[in-house]
Amino acid sequence: MVRRLLVVFVLLLIAALGVTAYAQDAAPSVTVTADGQVVIGLAAALSGEGLAPFGEDIQRGAELALEDRPTVTVGGIEFPVSLDPQDDQCSAEGGQAIANRFVSDASVVAIVGPMCSSACRAAAPILDEAGYSSVSPSCTAPDLSTSEFSSFNRAVVSDAFQGRVAAQFIFDVLGLTSIATIHDGSAYGEGLVNVVTASFEALGGSVVAADAVNVGDTDFRGLLEDIVAAEPELIYFGGFAAEGARLVQQLKNDVDGGEIVFMGADGIKGGEFPGLAGADAEGVYTSSSIPSDANKEAVDALLARYTEKYGIEPTGPFQVNSYDATNMILDAIEAVGVVTDGTLTVDRAALSEYLRSIEGFEGLTGTLNCDGTGECSAADIGIDIYAADGSLSTVAVGSPGDDNSIVVTASEG
Amino acid sequence: MASTASQPATTSGGDGVSLAQRIIKLLRNPLQVAGLVIVIFLVWTIIQNLTGLAAAGRPLSVERIIRVIIFGLAQGSIYALIALGYTLVYGILSMINFAHSEVFMSGAYIGFFAIHWAEQSGLLYSNTALALLITVTVGMAAAVTIAVLLERIAYRPLRGAPRLVPLITAIGASIALQQIFLRLFGSATRVYPEVNFYVLPQLFRLECETIDGAEICKGMDLINGRYDVQLLGMELQLRPIFFVVFFLAVLMMAILWYIVRRTKIGKAMRAVAEDRKTASLMGINVDRVIVSTFILGAALAGAAGVLFALYNTQVSPFMGFTPGIKAFTAAVIGGIGNIPGAMFGGLFLGVTESLAPTLLGMSSQLEDVIVFGLLILVLIFRPTGIFGEVLSEKKA
Amino acid sequence: MSLLEVHDIHTFYGKIHALKGISIKVEQGQIVTLIGSNGAGKSTTLNTICGITPAAEGKILLDGQDITRVPAHQIVTRGVIQSPEGRKIFMRLTVRENLEMGAFTRNDKAEIARDMDFVFTRLPRLKERIWQLGGTLSGGEQQMLAIGRALMARPRILLLDEPSMGLAPLLVEEIFNIIKGINEQGVTILLVEQNALMALEIANQGYVLQSGEVKLADDADKLLDNDEVRKLYLGEV
Repeated sequence: MVRRLLVVFVLLLIAALGVTAYAQDAAPSVTVTADGQVVIGLAAALSGEGLAPFGEDIQRGAELALEDRPTVTVGGIEFPVSLDPQDDQCSAEGGQAIANRFVSDASVVAIVGPMCSSACRAAAPILDEAGYSSVSPSCTAPDLSTSEFSSFNRAVVSDAFQGRVAAQFIFDVLGLTSIATIHDGSAYGEGLVNVVTASFEALGGSVVAADAVNVGDTDFRGLLEDIVAAEPELIYFGGFAAEGARLVQQLKNDVDGGEIVFMGADGIKGGEFPGLAGADAEGVYTSSSIPSDANKEAVDALLARYTEKYGIEPTGPFQVNSYDATNMILDAIEAVGVVTDGTLTVDRAALSEYLRSIEGFEGLTGTLNCDGTGECSAADIGIDIYAADGSLSTVAVGSPGDDNSIVVTASEG
Repeated sequence: MASTASQPATTSGGDGVSLAQRIIKLLRNPLQVAGLVIVIFLVWTIIQNLTGLAAAGRPLSVERIIRVIIFGLAQGSIYALIALGYTLVYGILSMINFAHSEVFMSGAYIGFFAIHWAEQSGLLYSNTALALLITVTVGMAAAVTIAVLLERIAYRPLRGAPRLVPLITAIGASIALQQIFLRLFGSATRVYPEVNFYVLPQLFRLECETIDGAEICKGMDLINGRYDVQLLGMELQLRPIFFVVFFLAVLMMAILWYIVRRTKIGKAMRAVAEDRKTASLMGINVDRVIVSTFILGAALAGAAGVLFALYNTQVSPFMGFTPGIKAFTAAVIGGIGNIPGAMFGGLFLGVTESLAPTLLGMSSQLEDVIVFGLLILVLIFRPTGIFGEVLSEKKA
Repeated sequence: MSLLEVHDIHTFYGKIHALKGISIKVEQGQIVTLIGSNGAGKSTTLNTICGITPAAEGKILLDGQDITRVPAHQIVTRGVIQSPEGRKIFMRLTVRENLEMGAFTRNDKAEIARDMDFVFTRLPRLKERIWQLGGTLSGGEQQMLAIGRALMARPRILLLDEPSMGLAPLLVEEIFNIIKGINEQGVTILLVEQNALMALEIANQGYVLQSGEVKLADDADKLLDNDEVRKLYLGEV
């Protein structure tokens, strides 16, 4: 019995080695035969507390993009495009697993995603090595574009910008000078909080308490007691809906923090957050990159199609970014693909180079210009506030100004 | 026998000598020395903080500490109720039922459908007590059903297998249950509705309205209420829910204690735990006793799930993991297989987890480090857990 | 018809053929003893009768009814009670709880109380220790408790496995007196003993087991006179 198991194990090992060897050989280019399909990988959190709605939203954004552009045309031949959606679990482990899965599948041309910065950070080195390219609609951690990942691109604004807008909004528009910060230990949450802290202190405000929570923990009351004791005027949270909702509920109900303003970012914008937090969501601020006004009609039309097709209102903030990311990849394939004898060949290095240097891509989020580091988007940041019924209304918009400055304009009313 | 009789004699004899000897004995073991250093470091940090923070103008007020302890007791009660399930099954089968965290989850999750129904039908508002009773009953029934199926399908066929086999199976069952709930009910997090459960309007003259000159009070809201309390000159804002959770947990533990100590089935459980073969010679149906043990543990976990969800509101297929692993830690700290150990371990862990970041001035993110560090300390100094003597006696 | 009839049973531990066709008859009211060296299959015979290690072949009849395939806990309800080798009392249960476990299958509270009184009159030393944990009793007291616990099930036939094991000679005598006394109350006894001499002295019938087979079967007093038995099992040269 033991010997038989051993034999099976050895066979599996050989098979695994074979697959790896095969994957490495297949790295430089992708070929699609005339009757084949162009496969685009999609990595987003499709399960998990407070995360799945964001992931589904991203998947739908890509699906809508493919509905508009079901084929890529190279050399006069149309190749159908299909999506391979996988769950990145919004975690480093998930990002790693998914990157390994995609690089072992030579038919995957490029990847939309991953969704969370932790997953992006873990996936990037693996994708780098295999020569793959990805365009994330939602990985906003600042350091992703400064870590020299060759595979990483994003169709969303870096938190280096979102965080600065948030800090300036708190200081200038809300007129608050002392805040506390909490993050969830994720690459996204920690990166965002670091930017907000640095920017807020640079503006002259003070961060009186800083703490972090573990994803999956439920009792943050002790932590909130400590934070409330430091008497901040606002708590800035970098993280996602499940922990965000618990923090807000416990802040308002269990500790003496009813007067303290709570603010988060795109991790708690839309999606499950208002449902999880219930009435306590009222008065919570969020932010996210927003499509430029020039595309308002096109965006509204897309969102209307979304509602019609899926039967629910779009929830998360990233479906439009995902739409753009998908189109960027399709553009890149059409630009660098070569057809010989009816077979499409896409050189991975050329694809990566093209994506990294896209100029003047007219997306729904705005005009995207990739600066060679993977940073492509320069959209505005909208700041919203939740009403008691969970609906959002925009209170301010932050846009890039001259000389690397930021202009935050409060909405009227 | 001889050792039990002689133990008190040695400790009551020359105290000073035995203490010095004990310290020397401690210092011979490098692990224990490391543990001792950590303990001294922690105590030193706490003292530093109590004085240091006060100097920085952020005094650690007694009120704050009391409130943080209360939060910890409530959370600890949940841990204790779950930990009892681990300990009961371990006691009888010497097996760690890792799927127990999913039994807890299923109680909270299926309980959601009951309370959701009560909310939709209006029962939750017209007869809150009955609606809550139904919710708890449904949660317990769901947890018990899952546990019985688990025992029947996953564990009983492996009764004679080496100990590692059911352990791996339990981990597999845990993942399988999460995925089954995920596929059946979707990944969306469910939220328990806000409930106001007013009691004793005569005693607690709270939330009063004057109607036609007469003052009519709703009473104390046990679930969502929050009240200012004057206690020993301190002003404390407290939510009754934390006390409700604590007292219900203590009540359930008392019932469990009674069942295990005084009833026939409880005595049979202890007999089976000690010697399965001899128990069957007494005419005890061992399989039935094992199932009863699973049922008892699951009923506690199911009730814990509903209580937990009533004040933490969010439920999802993955919600069991963290409380489950903490409760297991609590059971080991208390001495796995030992019922008072699990009760104490749960409460102790809950309070430590809540209080330690405050006292140490550390980030709450480190609370898990503290919890599992505590586990390591206990395992260094008392490998059988704090209440673990019974286990060693059994092995001897 | 005998109270208990064992017909040609074969029992295996994995691949080990432990019982190779054992046949035994126990008449109502008798003491029957199984003697033999270690590993002869004495305890296995008892465990097979009790359903702990079920027989692969053969038949076990109680009052003419086939109980070969009845599960262990149900055999107890039919009045076949074993007091196992090594006493196996529950160390972490009190004396009283141990006795209650003996009466586990019964629900007649008044009768159970009466039987407990009966046990205490037969075994007064247990009464003094009623609230003590089983683990704190001395070896002799533990053996008394094991017998008392078996009596609490109201046995029709009591299977005693090595009741004298590990006890001082004086205590052995006391235990054998107790066994005899119980038999005189009308309880049939199947006794497995290393101490063959004492066992044969109180028994009506005796079986000599060797390597899972019955080597000799005869009246106890005849076995006492058998040269071979005397040489092999009674320690005479």
